[in-house]
Amino acid sequence: MEVQVDKIKKQIEKKLHKSSDLKSRTVQFFGTDICIMYIADITDNLLLNESLIYPITSYLKTTDEDVYTTIKEKVLSNNEVGEADTVQQAIDELLTGKTLVIIDGAEKILTCDNEKVVTRTVGEPPTSVVIKGPREGFTESIKYNLALVRRRVKSDDLVVQNIELGKLTKTQISVLYFDSVADKNVVKKIMRRLKNIVIDGVIDSHYLVSYLQKNPKSLFKQVGDTEKPDILVAKMLEGRVGILVDGSPIALTLPFILIEDLQNSDDYYSQPIRVTFVRLLRLIGVILAVMLPGVYVALELYHYKILPTEFLVTLMNTTEGIPFSPFIELFFVVLLFEILYEANLRMPQYFGMAMSIVGALILGDTAVNAGLVSPPAVMVVALSGITFYIIPSQAAQFSILRLIGLIIGACVGLYGILLFSVFIISYLSSFDSYNSAYLAPVSPYIADDKKDNFKRVIIKEMKRRPKSIAHNKDNSIRRRKDED
Amino acid sequence: MKINYRQLSIMVFLSFISLKFLALPSVMYITSGNMSWLVALVLMIIDGLYAFMLVGLMKKCKDKNINEFLINTVGVVLAKIIFILLSAQFIIQIINLTKGLEFFVVENFYDDFNWLIYVLPLIILTGFMMYKGIRNIARVEEMFCWAITIGCIYIALKCITCTDPRAFLPMFKDGVAPLFHSAFKHYSWFGSATFLIMLFGKVDFTNAKKSVLIKYVVFAILLVQFLYFVFYGLFDTTSPTHNFCLSDVSQFSSNESIIDELSWLVVSLWVIAQALQLAVYGYCLVLSVMFAFNIKAKIPVIIAIDLLMFSLGYIGEKTVNFEQFFFNPAVSALFIFNEFVIPFILLIGYGVKRKKDRRKAKVVEDESIKIVV
Repeated sequence: MEVQVDKIKKQIEKKLHKSSDLKSRTVQFFGTDICIMYIADITDNLLLNESLIYPITSYLKTTDEDVYTTIKEKVLSNNEVGEADTVQQAIDELLTGKTLVIIDGAEKILTCDNEKVVTRTVGEPPTSVVIKGPREGFTESIKYNLALVRRRVKSDDLVVQNIELGKLTKTQISVLYFDSVADKNVVKKIMRRLKNIVIDGVIDSHYLVSYLQKNPKSLFKQVGDTEKPDILVAKMLEGRVGILVDGSPIALTLPFILIEDLQNSDDYYSQPIRVTFVRLLRLIGVILAVMLPGVYVALELYHYKILPTEFLVTLMNTTEGIPFSPFIELFFVVLLFEILYEANLRMPQYFGMAMSIVGALILGDTAVNAGLVSPPAVMVVALSGITFYIIPSQAAQFSILRLIGLIIGACVGLYGILLFSVFIISYLSSFDSYNSAYLAPVSPYIADDKKDNFKRVIIKEMKRRPKSIAHNKDNSIRRRKDED
Repeated sequence: MKINYRQLSIMVFLSFISLKFLALPSVMYITSGNMSWLVALVLMIIDGLYAFMLVGLMKKCKDKNINEFLINTVGVVLAKIIFILLSAQFIIQIINLTKGLEFFVVENFYDDFNWLIYVLPLIILTGFMMYKGIRNIARVEEMFCWAITIGCIYIALKCITCTDPRAFLPMFKDGVAPLFHSAFKHYSWFGSATFLIMLFGKVDFTNAKKSVLIKYVVFAILLVQFLYFVFYGLFDTTSPTHNFCLSDVSQFSSNESIIDELSWLVVSLWVIAQALQLAVYGYCLVLSVMFAFNIKAKIPVIIAIDLLMFSLGYIGEKTVNFEQFFFNPAVSALFIFNEFVIPFILLIGYGVKRKKDRRKAKVVEDESIKIVV
């Protein structure tokens, strides 16, 4: 390519539809025209002036070398200087925040990294609040996010593979893993799936989820996600692969198994006995969240005989005079809860508190006083609703399952609820996420992983990587005995 | 899509205890009296021995499924006959389980029973599990196995103080003849190892510990004996009037503490155990029908099985007396043939095939030596 400044400049301007934020400045360098082109809002002006314009305009030494080589090797003080062979390649670089240095008569266009990273500061993510442990969360800038990971991993074993996705957005995707720990087949599979994605834009990491999971239409999530670098690194140490997407504060992790959601980063910074207790509480919470309304309706409609007499009398006293059947009553309260939740979520923060008071206290209390719903129904739904958020990442799934459980409880009774629970387990058992069984280490039972499933032993005793997660089998041991 | 050795052992365990805690102890008492536990013990030991034999054979044939194994060893015709006989057994076991579970559900869950409400969820669940295959069934069984077992032990322990050991005396008061008669008559409740024939080529024996299967079989036998001890010890001569071992025993509580309210939870777990076993027999039936009639698609067979289960509620009571059907000598004979004869056919077939292969290999070796000379 024979570079002619005016021609190339016009070509680029035309290609970018004479976009207003496309800026250029032409300077002279020992008689040669040099055009500097950049996009104003994504370029760091200070850096541009200091590393590019000032060195070119103030360079005084004459040289025998050609202008292109002098500029590239002696004048520019950028840390990253690249070359574009074609105009299209140059435009692609320009759009990622790079500055083009177009030198008249040269064969290539120089590209310099002066990108201005526009992002919020690193803060504690709202969905992963911890009492103990690191509070740093990912931001929307992939550069910052990679820096947060790199800061924790000072090892040459960490691999970062970048690819670009989205025909229009050209979003940078970084795949991260430990070379000696991750299962190479899993990495290959993920890379293959990512490279096969044809999409016009990737706005958030969740755009990739449906491409990465085996059953994209399933209710249950099959790709892990985290907003915290410490969790991402911990998961990668177990053999998982992390995926960062530019513009998204959420990193994806694969393979994903269900028990991950019962575990919390706090667990690893607290006393093991307390952790075991809390994990069991979470499990009970999950069962209550999904099954409680269904079981309540089933007991009231079909199996009141199995209730202790005193409890039955209390229940009958409180439900007396309610004009609706237990199912309609509970369905109404569940629906009300879902509406309140949805409204609360979207409402501005300062309205939220007022809304909670109006919704939960006034509306609930009025409905009970008016005799539309019984206090046990409100209590059952409230308890089930609260337990949803023991595992917030699964709340959406639980909400649907609770509704199905409620309908089954009303139509079939306890027998239906039992078969429904077996059906859910059977359905989940059929998932395999990247060579890892979804319900592992419980089913299939993996004895070695019992150190960190429902219970947790002290970190010193976790000498092996979990077998539930596919990883490099030659590197299963985290710490050998002689290293203790 | 293979299952591991532990999962196989759990499947054997659940297969051994399913059906045993429903009507069996009650109906057995009519024929064999207070020695019924001995009949169950002997038949379960026989089941256990056949389970070990089949698993041993399974290990030897490695990746071959039962169809390939039978065609290679005994030929196509005999293979088809075996599959038809096995299909008949699985159908009877499915009918037995469906009807047994129905009575159990009616007794424990509903005042106004509706067949449709009972059978539809069961059909959906078992149909789904049959479709998903043996690994799915094995994983679910693995998940519920210990809850079911602990539940059974809890029920038995809760009532053990009320049992009267004198119920087992005098022993052999009518001689041993009624025991043989009872064993033959109730054989359709046993034959719990036959399903293993259909799992050839579906088990991964890597890192398998031999003792695991032995432990599970022994544990199953002990558990059944323990519950029978409690059942007969509690009800003695009134045993035939108590139709459901597990739920009837659980009502016979030794104290009135709040913990006794957990009994219904155990009864519920037992429903899950029966549903899972139904899925196992359903899966085996799907395979045997597919092999017997060279059917390639799974779904039509599953639909046919589901229809059979569905129709039981409508045609059953009017046209078939199920009690007589299960006690029919032909049914017992079929079960005995399938469990006693088929494994031996497999064993002999395997031995003959191995001999032939060795002879062939020797001939080839001799010929190659001749060519070299």
